[in-house]
Amino acid sequence: MPLDADAVVVTDLVKRFGRFTAVDRISFSVRTGEIFGFLGPNGAGKSTTIRMLCGIISPTSGAGRVAGFDLFTEPERIKQTIGYMSQKFSLYPDLTPFENIRFYLGIYNVPAEQWPERIEWIFSVTRLSAVRDRLTRELPPGWRQRLALGCALLHRPRLLFLDEPTSGVDPITRRHFWEFIRRLTSEGVTVFVTTHYMDEARHCGRVVMINAGRIVASGPPAEIVAHVLPDRPGADLGDAFVALMQREAS
Amino acid sequence: MNARRVQAIARKEYYHLIRDFRSLYLAFIIPMLLILLFGYALSLDVDHIPTAVVDHDRTPESRDIIRGLGASVYFDVVAHPPTTAALTDRLDRNQAVLGIVIPPGWSADLKAGRKSALQIVIDGSDPNTAGNTRAFITAFIAQANERRLLDFLNRQGREWIRPPVEGRIRVWFNEDLESRNFIVPGIIAVIIMIVGALLTSMVIAREYENGTMETLRALPVGAGEFFLGKATPYFFITLVDVLVAILMGQLLFGVVMKASFWLMILASAVYILVALSIGLLISVKTKSQLVANQLAVLVTYLPSLLLSDFVFPQQNMPVVLKAVSRLVPATYYIDILNGLYLRDLSFLQLWPSVLVLVVMAALLSSLNIRALKKEGL
Repeated sequence: MPLDADAVVVTDLVKRFGRFTAVDRISFSVRTGEIFGFLGPNGAGKSTTIRMLCGIISPTSGAGRVAGFDLFTEPERIKQTIGYMSQKFSLYPDLTPFENIRFYLGIYNVPAEQWPERIEWIFSVTRLSAVRDRLTRELPPGWRQRLALGCALLHRPRLLFLDEPTSGVDPITRRHFWEFIRRLTSEGVTVFVTTHYMDEARHCGRVVMINAGRIVASGPPAEIVAHVLPDRPGADLGDAFVALMQREAS
Repeated sequence: MNARRVQAIARKEYYHLIRDFRSLYLAFIIPMLLILLFGYALSLDVDHIPTAVVDHDRTPESRDIIRGLGASVYFDVVAHPPTTAALTDRLDRNQAVLGIVIPPGWSADLKAGRKSALQIVIDGSDPNTAGNTRAFITAFIAQANERRLLDFLNRQGREWIRPPVEGRIRVWFNEDLESRNFIVPGIIAVIIMIVGALLTSMVIAREYENGTMETLRALPVGAGEFFLGKATPYFFITLVDVLVAILMGQLLFGVVMKASFWLMILASAVYILVALSIGLLISVKTKSQLVANQLAVLVTYLPSLLLSDFVFPQQNMPVVLKAVSRLVPATYYIDILNGLYLRDLSFLQLWPSVLVLVVMAALLSSLNIRALKKEGL
């Protein structure tokens, strides 16, 4: 069973909206326990892909399994199993952090006897105990992001999808964020993250770069750079991406 | 369907509600305001008709007839204009609906056995009031004639001749013909529609406007769970409104329900479900609070008020409107309420209307769930 040993496996995945092809026959796999980066400029098809993987929208064609469940036939099983945090903070601003947490516990159907322990745990990892009864809208963006991440982890998912998790967040919060993500993977959690910040790719074990709905490169970041720009030792992933775009255009 | 998820959504919805001033206002202040407004302003009873009398005769007989008018509950003699022109002026200015002119020599003619006419003018601009006024004044004059005839026969030493046909009229269900007894149930029907549909018309649109719908799509929430969770807090709020309306009807207007309280609650629960389903369906379809609000007023409040047999009787409607009115949920709810309030009917007699509401609720709920599934829940 080599297929299901991977957390995510997709082959020839296509999503069309009318005549527009947002995602065009992409194939990749995510290994259990790694941080997998999904990179590309805005409008490249990152969000469409992550929404297909999370069971929010159904693919037009292709095949795929997430956490062992089929993308086409078992989207509800996928939703129950994974954790998902989106770029827009997925919280209710007129509820307190405590109330938001309780909402997610209920939605993820966590048994009631585990609630006190989970609530305790989430407040300790997000360091939000002091504001548990303030309205969420009064919190600074970085704090809200921590709360959103905490809510996505309440049901202890083994596979976490993060859609542009660090956009609009200050550098210090971003560093804390990545430290926390690394800690999660050390406990065996698989993390799939989309970003348009090329520099964040250094936190990822492997990345896939997409543009206009197609995969343009994949592999560990260093290997991609070495492969695309072998004669420029100081180059980074951003340089490699620009070079790839230029080659494709010519 | 998972109870914990339904509860999570219901609780979250409850927090939205208690932290939103507008919703609270809509849920509690508006209904009470409407009960007061409708209860006091919307009276279809015609009595205390403002009456002006010109007395050119000035005899005990003419004064007697004016006193008779004043003693009746139907007429209030508000003015004694000196001339016919002054009387016309009163009618023109809407200070009187009924004008009576007693001509000079009226009682003399009466005593002499000659024809003695009273001139009676009615303001016909409101046909309903005018029709009632005509009936009342006709009856009043017939009574006066009857009394005179009786006096005459008595003086002649003759016995009273009984008229061959006597109608013995009894009014059932609303013995005093008080329109309030009919209006209060109608108000309850309208209020539940407003509160139920208008409040819920905002709640799914709000998720779209705040971007939280996208999050909900990613969560393991089913369409049925979402629908039920959203409806639950509003169900109880609207039920409280029903109880407040019953209580206000009783305390302020003396309208007491005669039949089973629990039957009333059962019928109200089904009707509330219909109202909430309409609001939620509008909300998920329009995805905008503003549009949803306006649409909710258009499709629920107005038909409930105008087509439900509440203000305008369905008997008099053209065939097309009559057919449309059969689709208005309030039609059936008002039918049930009238049965409960006025006729003391039981479930055995009211079940067809209850059944129609149950079918409507089931149909609208399934439309909601289909719409939500299409939205990715």
